Amino acid sequence: MRKRAVKMVAAYLLTILFLLFLNFLLPRLLPGDAIIAMYSGHEIAMTEEMYAELVRMHGLDLPLHEQFLAYITQLAHGDLGYSYICHASTADLIMGALPWTLLLVGTSFILSAVAGIVLGVESSWRRGGRFDEALLTFMLLLDGIPSIALGIIALTVFCLYFGWFPSAGAMTPYSSVEGIGHIKDVLWHLVLPLATLTLSMIPGDYLLIRNSMMLTIREPYVLTARAKGIKKRRIKYLHAARNAILPFATRIGIRLAYLITGALFIETIFAYPGLGLLTYSAISNRDLPLMQGILTVSVLMVLLINIVVDLMYKKIDPRVENAY
Amino acid sequence: MHIKPFKEFKKDKIGVAGLMLILLLITTAILAPVIAPHDPWDYSAPAFQPPSWEHPLGTNDIGYDIYSELVWSLRTSILFGIAVAAIACTIGLVLGVSAALIGGMYDMVVMRIADALLAIPTIMILILIAAYFKPSTTVLIIALSLVLWQTTARGVRAQTLSLKTKLYVKAAKNAGAPTSYIMYRHVMPELFPLYAMGFVTKARIAVFMEAGLSFLGIFDPTTKSLGIMMSYAMRYLYLDVWFNWLLPPVIALSLLIISLGFISYAIEEIFDPRLRRNNATPI
Repeated sequence: MRKRAVKMVAAYLLTILFLLFLNFLLPRLLPGDAIIAMYSGHEIAMTEEMYAELVRMHGLDLPLHEQFLAYITQLAHGDLGYSYICHASTADLIMGALPWTLLLVGTSFILSAVAGIVLGVESSWRRGGRFDEALLTFMLLLDGIPSIALGIIALTVFCLYFGWFPSAGAMTPYSSVEGIGHIKDVLWHLVLPLATLTLSMIPGDYLLIRNSMMLTIREPYVLTARAKGIKKRRIKYLHAARNAILPFATRIGIRLAYLITGALFIETIFAYPGLGLLTYSAISNRDLPLMQGILTVSVLMVLLINIVVDLMYKKIDPRVENAY
Repeated sequence: MHIKPFKEFKKDKIGVAGLMLILLLITTAILAPVIAPHDPWDYSAPAFQPPSWEHPLGTNDIGYDIYSELVWSLRTSILFGIAVAAIACTIGLVLGVSAALIGGMYDMVVMRIADALLAIPTIMILILIAAYFKPSTTVLIIALSLVLWQTTARGVRAQTLSLKTKLYVKAAKNAGAPTSYIMYRHVMPELFPLYAMGFVTKARIAVFMEAGLSFLGIFDPTTKSLGIMMSYAMRYLYLDVWFNWLLPPVIALSLLIISLGFISYAIEEIFDPRLRRNNATPI
């Protein structure tokens, strides 16, 4: 257990180091000037005063270790930098977008996990059968359609052709509906981005669970359970799936990273005002402080989930305690 | 290993379908200069021409032939995928084998870096790197390879560690075989499935990333790319161009990724017979 903990902490520290390298060291190592590298762009006419202020703000006139100290202190205060293009603090911009992304990614995470697990379990139970073959082929096909393509298809078909769903935003602008009407409006805007993101995630979960179930149902204890006459559904979900779900649990962090990537494209396509759309606008405006802030927040988010999963892993798999 | 990979692969319908599809797409990409009727970087007709014999998919907003663009974009996607997969797999192979053989602190550091890379959304790193440097194809190939090697390294390391304890490897060693011979004769063939699998999965991620990054506008704008085509077509959706301009790159990208997914699934099934569908269920 201790060895495992040490490994985990080492990986977390390395992740943070890597983040610092990308955000702090790399722009300073680049040939030329960190300010120019970070703030250059046709949108901003750099004045002398602005340049001087930026140098002071980032402490670029100080030696590197003091710069680093200043950067860390800033970060610890929740200060992620200032976006000159949006004239707002990066942290505020991110905080404004984060709830929408959390709503989208969180709901999609749960929906795709449930669907993937149930379909994977049922499919592996009927392996080689018609249901399994058909579902497997469908899932492999769906897996091949990238989230961008899925989003574009959904947008053209359901928004432009049929006009059933809104093509942009998270709620109707200028509407003054309150209460239930407001919630309905938000959900209505959520349907398409959520459906595409979830659909793009299901095949991965399905294939993972199906493969791991295939190995689990060969275990002798499943045969024993069957011999004892336990109901099929009980064996499937309480005996076999309980163990087959373990590789899924260890991959929650990776799935989250995938989901964030997927959300980036889906939000861009549906103009859904979350972190993804914010990233897209940061890219189009070459707003580097904003990009750095988003990277920091998304990495910390994934890291946090990883820590929670690692801490809970003993609950999910009680054997790990004895494993080391 | 008592598996004949090619014989097994031929039996796998999904794998064969994937292979046929990818061969078709690769042939198209190789023959791009012959197949494309026009120069995709040059004005060839007035803008927004509907599909015709001269221009099978019509022309885009600046009078480029869309069909020619599509064929050349496919070439970019495939080249990018192959380059990233080859580099990332090689890095993974070298780091994985060396970590297993050297062990100690080196092993520890390599594996913790691999762990750390898992938790970072790759696309965010690429976006930031593309913003610092000029978004050139080479920079993106290297950056993507540097973050994709870890799954191969992990698998290769585990496999090499277990091989080290195998009796036949020990026997070869005791008989005086040099390390290079053991590597070449015993270790490398056993690692082949991992390498093949890694290559296909990485190519798949790379193709997706290339399209995604160019869709977001952070790829070398002078190259032809499926993502760039999509993002431009999206801007002219109001002109009803989705059928001849938006859909073709979407379909091409999907076919490419589907074929790679099929192949990787088949490889996985071949080398882990327990996963095979035709395998009699023990219960």
